[in-house]
Amino acid sequence: MTVDVFGARQRSGNFSFAAEVFRREPLYAGAALCLAALIAPTLVAMTLDGRTLAGVNVWLKPLRFEVALTIYLATLAWFADWLPQGVTTTRWYRIYSGCVVLAVAAEIIWIAGAASLGIASHFNEGSPMLAWTYRFMGALAVLLTSSALVYGILIFRNRHSRLDPAFKLSIGLGLVLTFVLTAAVAGYMANSGGHFIGRSSINAPGAPLVGWARDRGDLRVPHFFATHAMHFIPGFGFLAALALPRAVASRAVIDFSVVYAVFVSYTFGEALMGKPFFAVLPCIACTKF
Amino acid sequence: MSLEAIFQLCTKAALAGWIVLLASPLAPTLADRISGLLIPALLAVAYSGLVLAFWSRAEGGFDNLPKFVRLFSQPEIALAGWMHYLAFDLFVGAWEVRTARAEHIPFIVVIPCLLLTFLFGPAGYLAFSGLRVARAMTPLARTASLQS
Repeated sequence: MTVDVFGARQRSGNFSFAAEVFRREPLYAGAALCLAALIAPTLVAMTLDGRTLAGVNVWLKPLRFEVALTIYLATLAWFADWLPQGVTTTRWYRIYSGCVVLAVAAEIIWIAGAASLGIASHFNEGSPMLAWTYRFMGALAVLLTSSALVYGILIFRNRHSRLDPAFKLSIGLGLVLTFVLTAAVAGYMANSGGHFIGRSSINAPGAPLVGWARDRGDLRVPHFFATHAMHFIPGFGFLAALALPRAVASRAVIDFSVVYAVFVSYTFGEALMGKPFFAVLPCIACTKF
Repeated sequence: MSLEAIFQLCTKAALAGWIVLLASPLAPTLADRISGLLIPALLAVAYSGLVLAFWSRAEGGFDNLPKFVRLFSQPEIALAGWMHYLAFDLFVGAWEVRTARAEHIPFIVVIPCLLLTFLFGPAGYLAFSGLRVARAMTPLARTASLQS
């Protein structure tokens, strides 16, 4: 059984992750690098700028988006190796991927721009201009997330893939679910006027890094798990392809994907009912921090 | 971190970059990486952070002198401006060292240009450019650099 995750080049000796990502998809890799380069000045701004928005530093949100979109584009660049041969050089792909990168750039400029002005980017209906921009950015967010869908379908349908079938299936399912689940959760969130559900009782700070509320529903929880289907499901698929016999590995990937989708739906429902995500955990996470 | 601490830290970092440039004949590649890339990039990160945090709230502008003076009367913006000097002057200094090496200009005559660039940026650039033009027009110097 072969699980070709790193491509043939890894065996040749001096393996460089960055060089490999750039070889696989130079545009997404370059965009990921530019986004990663923004993290340092954003951290500097965060330490210097005392302004807050909804109780947190104004630069926390740009920082989260920079990290998230870096991971997103770098992951797609990594997966690009398993697209059908030659797709990345076709005309439609180059136009499409260029639009995706422009959409990412627009999102970051919008979010960082709003932060520098000390105003909200999302859910801001303060003026017609801001409300219009918010809607336009929603459309661009769908566009940039659609790249996961396009990749998922193309990788899944690639007949000449060198990948283990179970791993290939997990990448296809993970990417398609990322798009479908994110579009559903984020689409709902965008129309509900805010990501918190219910009223804060204790005004506790959110969970570390992700900032999820501990005392009410937070739609960012299902959004997080929906969007990271492209990491969790291929991660499972990779292990399944290694550990399980070929006959059952694909079945296991499908079962895991169903369980994962149910889990995302559960966190969505939980948030809608105004319950914090950490209520389900054996409350170690809530008491520790 | 306070603005004063950033001021001190960045000024010292730039100073270290200039010292490395003065010692560059000992380790040209390393000196170029430190003073031409690493330290200017770090200063650029600090500068960008300051601009992100304070630019949108700053008063004044670039349209006329009084507005410009008002802009730089704010400590955050003045600090950003100072970091702009530090980063770009050092970058130009590293470029002078690189160019001099490529054109076989003796380091001893580059030193005054470096000092001038360090203290009065554009004046140092002017001196170095004058030096290059003078050498290009001197037949003797041209043959000398071809031979070396």
